[in-house]
Amino acid sequence: MPEIATETTAPVGQEQAEEPRRRRRRRRGDPGTSDERSGVWYPRWYWPSFIAPGTIALIFLFVLPFYVVFSVAFGTVDFNNFGTAVPYYAPWWWSFHTFNGTLQQFYAGSHIYQDPLFRTFEYVIAASIICLVVGYAVAYYTARFATKYKGLILILLVSPFWISYLMRIYAWQGLLDTDGPINVILGPFGFRNTNFLEGKPITIILGLVYGYIPFMILPIYASLDRIQESLLEAGRDLGGSGAQTFWRVTLPLSRPAILAGIVIVTLPMFGDYYTNDLLGSTKTSMFGNLISQQTEATAGSTRAASLVLILSVIVLIPMMYYLRETKRQVEQA
Amino acid sequence: MRHPRDISRRQFLTRAGGAAIAMPSLAAILAACTKPGSTTPGGSGSALDNIPIATLDNPVTLPMTQDPIASNAPIESGPLVLYNWADYIYKKVVQDFEDKFQVDVQITTYNNMEEGIQKVVNGQVAPDVFVPTPGYVRRLVAKNLLQPLQHDLIPNMSNVWPTYSNPGPYYDVGWHYSVPYTIYTWGVAYRRDLVDDAVVAQQGWEALWNHDYAGKISLYDSYGDTLAIAILRNGSLDVNSQDPAVIDAAKQAVLQTINDNQARLTINGVYAKLPAGDYTVAEAWSGDIVGAQWYLPNGVGTDVLGYWKPEDGKTMISNDLLTIPSVSKSPRLAHEFINFMLDDKEGTLNFTGWNGYQPPFNSIQPDTLVQKGIVPETLTSAVVTEEMFKKDLTPYELPSDIDQMWLDAWTEIKAGA
Repeated sequence: MPEIATETTAPVGQEQAEEPRRRRRRRRGDPGTSDERSGVWYPRWYWPSFIAPGTIALIFLFVLPFYVVFSVAFGTVDFNNFGTAVPYYAPWWWSFHTFNGTLQQFYAGSHIYQDPLFRTFEYVIAASIICLVVGYAVAYYTARFATKYKGLILILLVSPFWISYLMRIYAWQGLLDTDGPINVILGPFGFRNTNFLEGKPITIILGLVYGYIPFMILPIYASLDRIQESLLEAGRDLGGSGAQTFWRVTLPLSRPAILAGIVIVTLPMFGDYYTNDLLGSTKTSMFGNLISQQTEATAGSTRAASLVLILSVIVLIPMMYYLRETKRQVEQA
Repeated sequence: MRHPRDISRRQFLTRAGGAAIAMPSLAAILAACTKPGSTTPGGSGSALDNIPIATLDNPVTLPMTQDPIASNAPIESGPLVLYNWADYIYKKVVQDFEDKFQVDVQITTYNNMEEGIQKVVNGQVAPDVFVPTPGYVRRLVAKNLLQPLQHDLIPNMSNVWPTYSNPGPYYDVGWHYSVPYTIYTWGVAYRRDLVDDAVVAQQGWEALWNHDYAGKISLYDSYGDTLAIAILRNGSLDVNSQDPAVIDAAKQAVLQTINDNQARLTINGVYAKLPAGDYTVAEAWSGDIVGAQWYLPNGVGTDVLGYWKPEDGKTMISNDLLTIPSVSKSPRLAHEFINFMLDDKEGTLNFTGWNGYQPPFNSIQPDTLVQKGIVPETLTSAVVTEEMFKKDLTPYELPSDIDQMWLDAWTEIKAGA
């Protein structure tokens, strides 16, 4: 928009003097000079105001709640009032007693904290890899080969969301039961009467994959669908085999989507607790279960908030990597 | 090309962000700058210090925080909000009450006592009638969360064992704030079609640690109950233990049966899952196993249900309470509800119709219960008698630092450590 550029580079006095003239002209329907015809004049706050709803939402739904988590973690509990949390909102009153205690137990190798954390990493990494492999294949097929069934497949991918997650997991409870269909099917392979719900890691990983895989498929599909056919043809023209074209053209082009998918899928998995509540036992307790249990326990809120902060820092590390990657890609483009 | 106004966009962000934080909540932030707790020295804490923890040897008379409502107060039009454990009242009885007083009863439920207490303390639920366990009454009264009962409005208290009104229970002498709702013991529920009575009787608590039932063992997902059961199993009778070694041994025992025998922590294991065949043995409140008969699949006789209770004096016994929170909007109606639940006919119907938890009524005799087929003969030991209260162990409120020890042990169990 060259018109605005001239306006702002012009001396302030001149700009102010010009504005009324331009407005008058527009009201009269005067097409004006070629420079001004291209754009409409907007007040200074016009474009920035577009970001206001997002900013307000971010403040009220993220910044303030997160600050409360800090205040609870660095606050205390009132044993005279059933151990309810007494948050310290003012940073100069913050007490790091519980937080330090929790952190020390972490370092000291306390099984209470370390076991669920290692388990969480194990399950989340395994589930993310399965989500990626299966999700990429489904997305690739849908984008490249589904032709007229594309719409149908996409609807089917989204359709599980029409039923509550809780209901679907209850269905899994029935399927995985010792006398359920899965045991019947696996029976001939020596799996007779396996209790999948007694706290088996494989069940939790299945639950996580099941719950989150659509979030992996959709961004990858969107990216693969947008890859221009001509790029793939160029790859083949230059002598690449099908596999080489995929490896050197399709995969690099879908890399941002893969990263986005992994982030979308892993972040909620790290905090997930209901999958284990419904399909596992204490033997498969994840970090989220630890937090949820502490929030329910008498006088546990301070420790629960401390654990939330610790988890946030742990999750921040892969998140930073993602941000750096995307920034690099933007710069390359 | 780069837009020159980019700079002002960033400025906008900083300004808008700063203003949005500062303006509306300025007052709140300033108010929060004083250190909480330090502003009320001894204020709320002292009330609690004045009321000691109640035990059978040290019965407590709770102070009157306010006057009870007048006995001629008009009956409100409702609705009556009942805050209760899940599946802990017979819908027919509630229906009868609604019909009699032409009001709505709204039932809100909790799955464990901690959840119930937290929501009443935070004001998330404002019930007219609340069903706590004795261990919480002292703290509820100290926090002004309960209102005293108007005894004139609860004439049906005469149906209840005299010990509950004269002198009154150890936790509320003179029943200023509470009436008993149900009574129950702790024991082992089992499937008689899968295990012999004699085998369970011989094992006792050990049945919950028996590898033969691996994958089919249920324990309550409730720290006070299950750790206490483990203490009994370990051969101690110190169910209110303050000894770290005893608590640690109990923790190890629970972890052992979880890890070796795939024992599960449940809340509906006894009344719903055991009749469905999911479990063979389970830690049980006596009322849960009596109630289990209404959850049996069609065609399965009640004689598959068994309940083992150790000899008198070797298990725990307790009762739940009906109380009226101070926030009640319909206190007179709440009194009517309590009186209604203590009515011989309605209270007994609640027990025998579906709930399975027995009220401490004079009219309920163990022999007749079994004779009339209300309690299956195989569950005779699940009937509670006044005699048991004199001999069995009572779980008390634990001092907060000891309670924390129990909770820490439980956290470790729940973390699968």
